[in-house]
Amino acid sequence: MSVKVNKDFSYVGKSLDRNDSFLKTTGRAQYTADLKFPNMLYGKLIRSTVAHARIINIDTSEAEKLPGVKAIITAKDVPSMKWGLSPARFDENIFAIDKVLYVGDKIGAVCAVDEETVYKALKLIKVEYEELPAVLTWQEAAKEGAPQIFEEYPGNVNTEIHHKFGDPDAALKEAYYVRTDRLQGQRTYHAFIENHCSIGMWDGDKATLYSSCQSVHYLQYHLARVLGMKMGDLRVLKTHVGAGFGGKLDPTGLDFSALILSKMLGQPVKMFYDHEETFLNGHGRHAITMELTTGVDKNGKVLAHKFKAILDGGAYTGLGIASTYYAGSLLGVLYPIENYQFDAYRYVTNLPPCGAQRGHGQPQPRYAFEHHLDLIGEAIGVDPIDMRLVNARKNNTVTTAGYEVKSYHLGKANEMARDASGWKEKRGKLGLGRGIGVGNGGFVTGAGFCQYRTDLPHSVGMIKIYDDGTRAFVYSQAVDIGQGSDTVLLQMAAEAMGYPYEKCQMYAGDTDLTTLDFGAYASRQTLMAGWAVKRAGEDVKQKILEQAVEMFRESGRIKEGWAYIGNRELRPDDLDCKEGIVFVKQEPSLTLTFEEVARRYFVTKGVLIGRGWYHPGKLGGNHKGAAVGTSPAYSSATQIAEVKVDLETGQIECVDTWDVHDSGTIINPKLFHGQVHGAFSMGIGETIWEEVKFDDKGKLLNGNFSEYRLPTALDMPPVLSLTVEDSWEPNGPYGLKEVGEGATTPTMGCVANAIYDAIGVSMTELPITYEKVWRALKEKREKEQK
Amino acid sequence: MYLPDFEYYAPESIAETCQLLSQFGPRAKVIAGGSDIIVKMKKEVLAPEVLVSIKNLAELKKIEYVPGKGVVVGARVTHNDLYKSKLLAEKYASVSNAAGQMADNQVRNIGTLGGNISNAVPSADLPPIFIALNATVKLEGVNGERTMPLEDLFTGPGKTVLAQDEIITEVVIPDQKMTGSNYIKFGLRKSGALAVVGVAVAVEVENNVIKDARVALGAVAATPVRAKKTEEFLKGKTVTDELLAEAGVIASGECKPISDIRASAEYRTDLVRVFTKRALRKAIDEGHV
Repeated sequence: MSVKVNKDFSYVGKSLDRNDSFLKTTGRAQYTADLKFPNMLYGKLIRSTVAHARIINIDTSEAEKLPGVKAIITAKDVPSMKWGLSPARFDENIFAIDKVLYVGDKIGAVCAVDEETVYKALKLIKVEYEELPAVLTWQEAAKEGAPQIFEEYPGNVNTEIHHKFGDPDAALKEAYYVRTDRLQGQRTYHAFIENHCSIGMWDGDKATLYSSCQSVHYLQYHLARVLGMKMGDLRVLKTHVGAGFGGKLDPTGLDFSALILSKMLGQPVKMFYDHEETFLNGHGRHAITMELTTGVDKNGKVLAHKFKAILDGGAYTGLGIASTYYAGSLLGVLYPIENYQFDAYRYVTNLPPCGAQRGHGQPQPRYAFEHHLDLIGEAIGVDPIDMRLVNARKNNTVTTAGYEVKSYHLGKANEMARDASGWKEKRGKLGLGRGIGVGNGGFVTGAGFCQYRTDLPHSVGMIKIYDDGTRAFVYSQAVDIGQGSDTVLLQMAAEAMGYPYEKCQMYAGDTDLTTLDFGAYASRQTLMAGWAVKRAGEDVKQKILEQAVEMFRESGRIKEGWAYIGNRELRPDDLDCKEGIVFVKQEPSLTLTFEEVARRYFVTKGVLIGRGWYHPGKLGGNHKGAAVGTSPAYSSATQIAEVKVDLETGQIECVDTWDVHDSGTIINPKLFHGQVHGAFSMGIGETIWEEVKFDDKGKLLNGNFSEYRLPTALDMPPVLSLTVEDSWEPNGPYGLKEVGEGATTPTMGCVANAIYDAIGVSMTELPITYEKVWRALKEKREKEQK
Repeated sequence: MYLPDFEYYAPESIAETCQLLSQFGPRAKVIAGGSDIIVKMKKEVLAPEVLVSIKNLAELKKIEYVPGKGVVVGARVTHNDLYKSKLLAEKYASVSNAAGQMADNQVRNIGTLGGNISNAVPSADLPPIFIALNATVKLEGVNGERTMPLEDLFTGPGKTVLAQDEIITEVVIPDQKMTGSNYIKFGLRKSGALAVVGVAVAVEVENNVIKDARVALGAVAATPVRAKKTEEFLKGKTVTDELLAEAGVIASGECKPISDIRASAEYRTDLVRVFTKRALRKAIDEGHV
C-alpha cells in the first residue's frame, strides 16, 4: 500500500525544534547527577578486583571508622532474590553472594556524607578472595572441563537456539553457487555521555527513585519484585537522560543500593558511576563469531542460508537471550529466504555482561551477511546493488517465519541510494585505495511482547486540558533519552487534538504521575506511545467537538434545518478542529476557539481528559523465539559509503555516505536526520575503531574515551539522508515506522564493503583497524611477489 | 577519581617559583595548564602535597623573534597559542601545524609547551619538530639558569634532567639554514588521539642536493630520538624518490618501538619508514610546513 502523506498536517512532518533544545544548549537541563535533596548522602559500589573468585571475607572495619561513613552494605544486608531482564534466566543478585564473576562485579555499597569520603572509604575495604580459574573467551568457556561459572549453565552455555525453516541442505545442493564465510565481531560499548546515577528516598512506606534509565516501568517492576514491594509503593522517575543506546535498560546495583541505603538511613542517597565504572557495568554489544553458508541461483537470488552465531556473553544474562535471537531473527525480514537455518550459542564468560546496544543482536550479523553477499556477487559476476534488488523483500508479504510485513520498500531504497551516490560511475572504477560499498538493514518498530509475561497494554496515553483551555498536558512513561521522543509525541498529540503544538507540554517517564509505557527500547516509542497519545488526542478532540455542537446550538448560530447540513441536527462529525480553531466543515467561517469550548467543558462537566490505549495484538510467528522479531512494523534502509584507504599505512577515511530510509511517514524530519547521522557515527566507529579490551586477567584496559575511540566530528563524513517518501505504514500512527536502531544496522556492512572495494582484501574481523588493513595489504603484496 | 587535598601556591616571579620548589622538594609539582597533572592526581598516579602554579609568570607567555637568537617561545604558551601564532606561521609553520594536531581543542586551549616537554611522554608531539629544528631549552633554578639542546633534556619515559628546583622557561628555535621542515603525526583518529608515530624532519636543500638533514622520531623509543644514520645517509645526496624511500627504510631501522594497546612494534616500525619518506618530501618541496 502506498498512500501519499497528507500534506495538510499542521505538525506531523514538520521539522519543529526539540522541546528541550533550549534547556540543553544553555546548560540548564538537569540530569540525575545534578539533583540535590536536603540531607542527601552519597554512595558507590564496592567492586571485585578479580575475574572469578570465592569471597572469603569482606573486612569493612577500617572504612567504618572513617568519619562521615554512614553505612556499608554487602550481600548479607540485602534481599537474595535473583533478578535479570529475561524471566527464563534470572541469575543476578543485588550483591555477589559467595562468588564474584568478573572484574567490576558488585560486592556491596558504601554510603557517606560526601563523595570524597566515599572514595576514601572504598580504599579501606579489604576483600579476601579465593581465586578460581577464569574463562575470558567463549572458546575457553566451551572447552571440555572448562571452569563452570554458573551451576545452571552446564558447559557455560547460557542460551541455545536452533531454527530451521524449509530444507536448507537440500536447497544448497540445488544451488548454482554455494559459499561459506567466517566473520568475527567485537565487544563494543554504548558510550553514552551521562553515566548511570540513581537517587533513592523514602516517605513512610512510599519510596521514590530517580534513575538515569530507559524504562521507568521495567525498573519499577524489577526493583519492586526483588525488594518485595508493591509497584504502587515505588515511584520511579527520570529527569533528562544523557542517552542510553540500550545500556540503561537493566537495573544497576546503583538503583538497588540507593533504595536500600536511603531506607536504612532515613536520608536521600545518591549513587553514581564514573566513566570507567559505566564501562564495567557493561551490557554493550556482544562479540559474535559468525559462520555463513549461502546458496544462490545464477542471478544471485538466495535459495538457502545457514547461519551459525556464537556470542560471548560475559557474566550474567541480562537481555542476552533476546540479543541471541536478534542475531538471526531479522535476516528473513530483509530478504525472503525459504530455506533458513539458524544455530546460536551464547556462552557466559568472566567479563562484564553484554546485552542490548543500538540494533541489539543484529548489526554484526548484518555486517557479516552484507559482506558475504558481496563476495557471492563477485564470484557469480553480479553487481552488489543488483544482488540486493533481486533479494529485497516486497510490500505486504509474510516472512518464512510467519512475520507479517506491511509497508516495505527496500528495493526502492537501494535504487535511490544507487542513484544518489553515483554508484554506477564509481563502483569498481575508483582505483586502488578508494572504494564504495553498500549495505542494507532495518529493524522492528517495537517488540510484539512485553519483556515479562503480562496482559498489560504496551502504552497508555493521557492528555489533560488546562481548565481554561490554554494548555494541554500530555502524559506518558515514554522516556526521552535524547532521541526526541517527547517532541514527536507532542507533535502527534497536537495533530490529533487539533490544538497548537506550542501550547502542549510533556510529562514523561514518571510512574506516579504519567501513564504506562514500556519505555525506550526496540525502537518502539514513536509507534506505540505514538498510538497512545494520538488516540488520547482524538478522544480530546471528540469531546471538544461534542461540546462545540452544544455551544453552536445554544448560541443560535446554527439552527435546526440549517441548509448546508440538511434537514437534521448538527452533529460532532460535521465539525473539525485544527490548530485550536473549531469549525463547521461545510462552512469554515463558522468557528469557535478550542479554548472557549474547553473552558465551557470544564465549567459544565469537569476536567477535560483524553485517554488512549495501545496493544499490538496478536502478531505473526509461531516458532519458539518468535517473540523476538515479531513487530507491528518493519523499517528498512540502504546505506552506501565511500572510503579512502592509505595503502601504505592502512589508514581509512570515510569520505562520503548516503542513507535512504523506508521509515513510513517522518514525523519530524530534523530529528529523523539526526538519528541517521548519529547512527552513522556509531556504525562507522564500530567498523573502524571501537573495541572494549581486557588484559589476560580480565581487567578492563580502555575504560575511557581516549583509548576507546569513538569517531570525532573530524572523522565524520558528510551524510546525505533521504527517505522513501511514499511509504505509509498502516500499523503505525500517521503511517510511521522506526529509524533509531535500524539506521545503525547497515553501516558496518557498507563501510566494510567499501574497504573491500578499495583494497581488494576481504576484511573479516571487526573493528577493521588501520593496522589490520596495513597487515592485510602487506600480506597481499608478499603473496603477489611469490 | 577524586582530587586529593593539596597546598597551592601561585608565585609572581620565576625566582620565587624556584624557591618554593626548592623548599618543598619532591613534595611539590609544577602546574601550568593542568591538562595532565590533574588527571594523574585524580587517578592517583601522582600525589603531590604542593602544587606550584606558574600561571602568574607573564614573561613565560611570549612568542617573539629576537634577532641573532631566533624564535623564543615561553614555556607557558598553550598549544593553541602556537597553532595560531602569526610569527610561527610565517617562519616555522611546521611547529604551529604540529601544535594544531595535538589532542583536542579544549586541551590545546590549556595545555602548555612547557608541560608537553617536561612530561617527557614518548608520544609527545612538540619535541620531535623542535629537535629537528635544533631548538634549545632554557631551565631556571635557584642557582641560576642553564641552556641545552632540547634532545638532551630527555632521559627516559617521564624522565628529564630537570632538577627539583628547576622549571623550563623557554624554548628557542635558532636561525636556520634549514630550508624546510615538517612533522607528521599519525594517530588512530583525526582528533583526540595520541601519536602512534611522530616523524619530524628538517632539511637544507640547494639545487636539489641535500646539504643537511635532521630527523627526529616520536613514540617509537623511550624518548624522542634522532635518526642519525638517516641524516648522514641523506647528506650530499641528490633528491630522488628512491633516495627518500631508502631514507625511510634506514629510519625504520633506527627506532625501538614497543607494542601496546594502540599498535604493534612491527606496525610502528613500518610507519616510521612511510612517514620519514613523506615528511622529507614535504619539507623539500614545500619548505617549513
